[in-house]
Amino acid sequence: MPLSASNLSDHHKERVDRILEVVMAYAQLDFTKKTEVLGNEDVLDAIGAGINMLGEELENSTVSLKEKEQLLKEVHHRVKNNLQIVSSLLNLQSDNVLDEKYLAMIKDSRNRINSMAIVHEMLYASRDLSRIEISEYIQRLCNSVHQSFSRPGSDIRFRFEIEKDLYFEVDHMIPIGLIVNEIISNSFKYAFPKDKGEIKISLKRQDKIFSLGIEDNGIGLSESFNPEKDGHLGMQLIQMLSEQMEASIDIQRNNGTAYRIIFKD
Amino acid sequence: MRSMDTLNPPDDATEITAFWTWMGKDGICRTKTKPLAVITLKEAMENSVAVTSFYKDKKFPLLIDARNIKYMEREARKHFSTNGRETKINSFAIMVKSPLSRMIGNFFMGLNKPAIPARLFDDENEAVKWLKQHL
Repeated sequence: MPLSASNLSDHHKERVDRILEVVMAYAQLDFTKKTEVLGNEDVLDAIGAGINMLGEELENSTVSLKEKEQLLKEVHHRVKNNLQIVSSLLNLQSDNVLDEKYLAMIKDSRNRINSMAIVHEMLYASRDLSRIEISEYIQRLCNSVHQSFSRPGSDIRFRFEIEKDLYFEVDHMIPIGLIVNEIISNSFKYAFPKDKGEIKISLKRQDKIFSLGIEDNGIGLSESFNPEKDGHLGMQLIQMLSEQMEASIDIQRNNGTAYRIIFKD
Repeated sequence: MRSMDTLNPPDDATEITAFWTWMGKDGICRTKTKPLAVITLKEAMENSVAVTSFYKDKKFPLLIDARNIKYMEREARKHFSTNGRETKINSFAIMVKSPLSRMIGNFFMGLNKPAIPARLFDDENEAVKWLKQHL
């Protein structure tokens, strides 16, 4: 006789209901419940035991996953802390330096380190431990660079046109952050002799192609400037990181300097 | 062929919480779960100690009669898989019969992947024949 609800005894129906309750609890990751195994020679006992064993395995996998997530969080936290320690050490070092040239180099290094520390700080705080939202990241990064270059009376502002809900993995975010850091640092250093102006950052996506624009309305690079030949470390970094990301980079000099970086996801 | 029955514990079998264990005259060790036995890690470890006590100088096969088992917890299943621990057995066969023992046996074999040759049987003759390859 086929096993159907109509020919199950009340006792069996109750057992099936109890087994279903446990299945639903497991589906909600509640592993405190177990089906009752009576030790009968029947199929319901076997199904009940199978579900209990499955629950034990699921619970174990869930715990392992949570432990791994915790560990990854801890790693991001420690990386961020270590980067901040390096940054603080550089800051301490700069207390004993009087040469403006070396002080500027130390500041550049600190900003580069901070651009990476922000990535790890955001990863640590995010629910998804492998990706972060780029709009928030770029705004935090710009804020950090802005603070490092701010001078009394300066009026340099940012304008952001970055699509929301674009997420990038750490492998992409670190070079993007370093590139943005270099370009806006250059704007702060060279584009605005009167400490007044605007830096616009945009990011648009078309299918799998991203277009990152960073432009200022400052005095612009001189016509004779060749980034490949005349570039300092910052320019070399931009070139190198673009190559690493297999990105193309274009520089325009109309009413300021505009960088357009095209890369794939 | 008449079905053999070598799975009745002799008087001198080692009796522990959930098992009887003894060495057969054929060189195959036997261990039998008590009726409605629930095997936790404690019972599993007790069983390993009992089985190992029959070791002299050569590893031997083990026939497990799990036909009366009620439940085996995850830690016990992990222990019996012999993964990552030294064992004095070189193979084991598990006797199952009821739907419950079949479920437990198949779940164990499917998920815990024993580190030594292991198979499920519902026929004792077949189990003994297979284990004799490992004597």
